[in-house]
Amino acid sequence: MSHLTTPAVVMGIGTGLTKLGFAGNDSPSFIFPTAIATRTTGAASGRPPPAAKPAFLSGPGGNSSSSGGNLASKRGTEDLDFYIGHEAIDVSNTPGYGLNYPIRHGQIENWDLMERFWENSIFKYLRCEPEDHYFLLTEPPLNPPENREMTAEIMFETFNCAGLYIAVQAVLALAASWTSSKVQDRSLTGTVIDSGDGVTHVIPVAEGYVIASAIKNIPIAGRDITYFVQSLLRDRNEKDSSLRTAEKIKEEYCYVCPDIVKEFNRFDREPERFQKYLVDQGLGRKVSVDVGYERFLAPEIFFNPEIASSDFLTPLPEVVDTVIQATPIDVRRGLYKNIVLSGGSTMFRDFGRRLQRDIKHLVDTRIHRSEELSGARSGGLDVQVISHKKQRNAVWFGGSLLAQTAEFKGYCHTKKDYDEYGPGIVRQFSLFNVP
Amino acid sequence: MLLLQYHNILIQSILQERFAPDTQPANIDQVISDFDNVTYHVSTPESKTKILISLSIRCFKDLEKYGATALLKREYGEYVVQPENGYDFSIVVDLENLPSSQEEKELLIQKIALLKRNAMAAPFEKAFGQFDELAAEAAKNSLDLSVPEDSGAEVMAVHYREEESFFIRASHDRVTVIFSILFREDTDRVFGKVFLQEFVDARRRSIQNAPQVLYSSKEPPLEIRNIAGVKEDVGYVTFVLFPRHISRDRREGCISHIQIFRDYFHYHIKCSKAYMHSRMRFRVAEFLKVLNRAKPEAVEEKKTASGRRFGAR
Amino acid sequence: MSQSLRPYLDCVRSSLTAAICLENFSSQVVERHNRPEVEAMSSPEVILNPLHISRNENEKVLIESSINSIRISIKIKQADEIEHLLVHKFTRFLTGRAEAFMILRRKPVKDYDISFLITNFHTEQMLKHKLVDFIIEFMEEVDKEISEMKLFLNARARFVAEAFLTNV
Repeated sequence: MSHLTTPAVVMGIGTGLTKLGFAGNDSPSFIFPTAIATRTTGAASGRPPPAAKPAFLSGPGGNSSSSGGNLASKRGTEDLDFYIGHEAIDVSNTPGYGLNYPIRHGQIENWDLMERFWENSIFKYLRCEPEDHYFLLTEPPLNPPENREMTAEIMFETFNCAGLYIAVQAVLALAASWTSSKVQDRSLTGTVIDSGDGVTHVIPVAEGYVIASAIKNIPIAGRDITYFVQSLLRDRNEKDSSLRTAEKIKEEYCYVCPDIVKEFNRFDREPERFQKYLVDQGLGRKVSVDVGYERFLAPEIFFNPEIASSDFLTPLPEVVDTVIQATPIDVRRGLYKNIVLSGGSTMFRDFGRRLQRDIKHLVDTRIHRSEELSGARSGGLDVQVISHKKQRNAVWFGGSLLAQTAEFKGYCHTKKDYDEYGPGIVRQFSLFNVP
Repeated sequence: MLLLQYHNILIQSILQERFAPDTQPANIDQVISDFDNVTYHVSTPESKTKILISLSIRCFKDLEKYGATALLKREYGEYVVQPENGYDFSIVVDLENLPSSQEEKELLIQKIALLKRNAMAAPFEKAFGQFDELAAEAAKNSLDLSVPEDSGAEVMAVHYREEESFFIRASHDRVTVIFSILFREDTDRVFGKVFLQEFVDARRRSIQNAPQVLYSSKEPPLEIRNIAGVKEDVGYVTFVLFPRHISRDRREGCISHIQIFRDYFHYHIKCSKAYMHSRMRFRVAEFLKVLNRAKPEAVEEKKTASGRRFGAR
Repeated sequence: MSQSLRPYLDCVRSSLTAAICLENFSSQVVERHNRPEVEAMSSPEVILNPLHISRNENEKVLIESSINSIRISIKIKQADEIEHLLVHKFTRFLTGRAEAFMILRRKPVKDYDISFLITNFHTEQMLKHKLVDFIIEFMEEVDKEISEMKLFLNARARFVAEAFLTNV
């Protein structure tokens, strides 16, 4: 069969960003916001963006009997008039279009929009005939199985895709860490720290299965760091303290230090550590912004949240430790040994090293106390945090890695399976056997 | 999006990014796919400034027969290199050796993004060439142009998909393009039939200038009946392109457009299904509302002002 | 609404109103079980005669009743291949969501497109006349929906074909 030679499509659709691409590549081909701009039907009814559904849906009050005449009068092509991704953001400023985000908190909220989002992703951006390709989609941990079924219904019935595999993001992030030289055995056991723009998850995975009861979320992530940098810039009355500048400074200058007090002293001793960032404000105007203590203070909010937030005060290492302590005792050793980073907000220099040190410290203190209390000697516990080059798009990359293997197609459910068993089939996917 | 784009948007965006004046050269290694089992490989094997773009196309053997090599040579001239292993055609763009003006760069990007389209254009161009010759000859012999005549021109067959092909044949007053259409699924088949019927009727109803479209669901059209590999149980769509469609200035557009027919057609079948789904979702929600009306509302317990409840204890 | 549809629906409505007359009834065959007798078919004495109401050979309703449950099966009008397909798609979509529709049967009775099963537990929780309203509204809306979808498909096909051909 010729379509077996076509590369599988890997789609990682998150709350903020969508990452699309083909298996075997080392980075996604498209990264754009998960946004869709749809035509808002006539201003006459004055209804807000939910009217971005097809025309018949916007009948006043959803009165079904009034929807009858709608279709005959129009040619019913409103459902083709929409944009996704960057184009959606651009077009949303023009009148007549409303911006929607079909995904909330990692889960698909609006299936109508999502279906069209996929439609455009596949035909406009990826340019592939879904009948010829296998698809790997990612899902957040704790995604209800009903959502999987709905996804399968769309992928198979609307798009007739050749085969489908739905993988949990955390598991893919683990697979992505296999590229690191520190990883010897390619196991699917480990703790994933996934920090994107909106929220940071700590997810324990044992043998490829997420331990759902122990998952913890931290409301500190990329956006908070950017805001923090911005507030520091504002405090100093810098000439440019826009969000974009703050983001650039965060990405280019920030790093994690071993100890804040010492770092402050070092900055005082070595003035070359203060740097300048040149902002191009457009129209040829350039402004220089000083970059100072925020270089190490910004990522520090993971470790000392009290410097930025007042309602969440548990440092990340402590959260990780609590999470692992909440899992069954026989997997804890594996979870400590394989703590994997994923997502853009874990990209700070020395982030992994600091995290490892802090967790190690927590663990050692506990072991030490128990040794004192019981008098027995403990064998110690390995704590290892794995950083690797593909961290930023770890989930997508893990998907690409798995989907390019020869076995991948065997793990997928095919269109034929779906037709025979129905949507319920996607509740179960066999795990990848580790090669 | 109503019409599909002819060019590959990903190649376009990669090159635009690379061609921008102030970007650092970087390694690229991307496999990209396109409709009709086309795969591209964009990479920088030698140095970061030399971008190798390779194309693999299922029916390259067929296309070669009809002059694809010459056509691609004409389009990409200086950039053509020995095909990369496993691919059918390769070009190399050297970032240090780009055209200087912005327009020329854009033009080059556009051209490269149309790689697939250009490769597939070969049989069309050949057919149009034959048409010119035949038409000239017919005019010379003062044949009655209105009488269709069985020309000796061969039928060009391109097996562009595993189970589907298209055929092109030129004669002195028209060029015929026939697509074989096979549906893998019942829903698609029924939807497809409705769509194709409208394609057939469109000319009769409103657009007089459109090419004539014929559709037969069982019998292959006469033109290709003798060709090996033509099956009986497949649908056939015939486009009859008249001289006005293939006049010199419209030729290029016509080639791009006819090529994309199958993908356009399947895209819209899928869009319709998506629309049906959203209708059905809406309807289900409506039905549920009606059904839930049947549940008596929970009678709120009455309490006294001080918060104590009535009723027996 | 066409002339013959009104009496048809009225007839279904009054038959249903009369037929939904259910009481709790424990199984006589298996101890401490309570099963819908119309499905179990294990005690013939509690099964009533099934009732057909048909408007024509393409549209009919089958009402099978028993002491504690009633099964309503509907055959939806389908004039051609397209309608047949749309009905099939729609009913499958509905049965896929049977969990939400408490009274929807996951599989239709043979020769019918969609079936509902109402037991005494449903009638205890829900208002009987509203349940009947639901079935009637369902029958009305399904026909309308199917023909609208068909209209849409034709309109879309025409639009798509014209858009393609004008650009050649």
